[in-house]
Amino acid sequence: MNYEYMLGAYSVAWVIIFSYMFIIGKRHDKLKKEIEFLKQLDK
Amino acid sequence: MNLFRTALLLAKKDLYSELKTKQILVTQIIFAGLVIVVFSFAFDPANNTTKAVIPGVIWVIIVFAGILGLNRSFISEQRNDTMQGLLVAPMEAASVYFGKFLANFSMILVVELVSIPFLFLLFDFKFFGSLPYFILVIFLGSFGFIAIGTFLAALAANSKSSEMLLPLLLFPITTPILIGVVQATKIILTNIEKLPSAVAWIQLVSAYDVIFFVVCFLLIDYVLEV
Amino acid sequence: MSVNLEREKAMLPGSGLTETRGVNLSKVLFGASAISMLVSLYFIFIFAAEESTMRAAQKIFYFHVSSAWLAFLAFFVTFVFSILFLIKRKRIFDTYAYVSAEIGIVFTIIVLTTGPIWARSAWNTWWVWEPRLITTLILFFIYVAYIMIRQMDGVWDKKARLAAVFGIIGFADVPIVFFAIRWWQTKFHPIVFGEGPSQKGGGIEDTMLVALLVTITAFTILYSYLLYKGVSFENIKIKVDRYKEKLRETLDK
Repeated sequence: MNYEYMLGAYSVAWVIIFSYMFIIGKRHDKLKKEIEFLKQLDK
Repeated sequence: MNLFRTALLLAKKDLYSELKTKQILVTQIIFAGLVIVVFSFAFDPANNTTKAVIPGVIWVIIVFAGILGLNRSFISEQRNDTMQGLLVAPMEAASVYFGKFLANFSMILVVELVSIPFLFLLFDFKFFGSLPYFILVIFLGSFGFIAIGTFLAALAANSKSSEMLLPLLLFPITTPILIGVVQATKIILTNIEKLPSAVAWIQLVSAYDVIFFVVCFLLIDYVLEV
Repeated sequence: MSVNLEREKAMLPGSGLTETRGVNLSKVLFGASAISMLVSLYFIFIFAAEESTMRAAQKIFYFHVSSAWLAFLAFFVTFVFSILFLIKRKRIFDTYAYVSAEIGIVFTIIVLTTGPIWARSAWNTWWVWEPRLITTLILFFIYVAYIMIRQMDGVWDKKARLAAVFGIIGFADVPIVFFAIRWWQTKFHPIVFGEGPSQKGGGIEDTMLVALLVTITAFTILYSYLLYKGVSFENIKIKVDRYKEKLRETLDK
């Protein structure tokens, strides 16, 4: 009983956590590309 | 005390420059009037149930008119860089805060004096409650709102988009005042028998006023740093 | 000019012993949070007893309450580091405050989404005028405003100083908001929802308490992982920005 609510709530919570980590990952990648570009400039 | 005197001086300067043009005051009053008219379209004034909305409407117009005045209180100091002048003057940052607060507070009182009777007129609201308590609630609520509003206006003035930032900062912080003051106004205006609970709400708002006035006094040095 | 560039190249991040140490700690924290999350899920779904009236939907309570606890912890950390920054003026304090506020907002979003779902299942309404939920909503707006101050244009120390002041005021406001709303509720809508979260009208059952504590611990480990990751990222970004500034200066000459 009420399984759909529980599944809904848990999936929402996990989606939020994972999307936050995904956003952080994207930020990391962007910064890494910038560092690579700056390293290239020096060479 | 030196703090008080310099603050009074600053408040006088602000109020004099405002009285010359009357620009902000008039804008605030007209804006309050327009909000009242819009509310009279949104809620049918003839209907009896809209009487229940009146306490909320009073505070909505005070909040919106107040934001207009608060914005300009520090923006005007940026125009000729007079903010630097204030900071270099032999007055503490706390007097700048207090002076601005007094000026804004007087202006909002004038706006309330004009717009609340206008509201009662348009909504055909018979004032049955007790006038002294009503004035007390309006006074205390505006006090707290303008106290924290002046402080946050000083904070937001540092940004280019200060007009957008100030409401964003101000509304969440002033929710306790708004809740307390709307409840108290409702009790005072409609069912006056529940006066003890209204007094309890007034106590909450006063506690908020005292706490945040002191906190703002303490923290204003950090905001107005060069 | 090339001498200057040599010195600036040395400032470029991506080299040095500290990086490997940092990467190790990050991996450890990630592993710890993953494991503790799985453990807590076991505790929630298998160990804790199922509640009588709300059945499975009550399990939402574990994540909902843990997220709320974490959100408040994160904002308390922001409060503490804001005070530290105003006193000591070290940039690292401001970085901790900022990252903690961001993580706090994420957990607040979880609270504000799981809350209505639970409310719908338990009391058939999407929004409950409940003190804790409304306080969380106000808290959300206060910390969004904090982030907006940080996004202002200008030098970092001005933004950090103003944001720190606002962080202090925001956190001081929260207890007042809570009491104001609670007061409002008892006079306005009498609280019909029963006192304890387990709806047993009182204490909370033992297995549920254990599961709750395990979940809170798991969330706290996740919080520390996210905080560590965020702070190290910000530190690298600060170095890169400084490097770019120096590069711009040398190019202007």
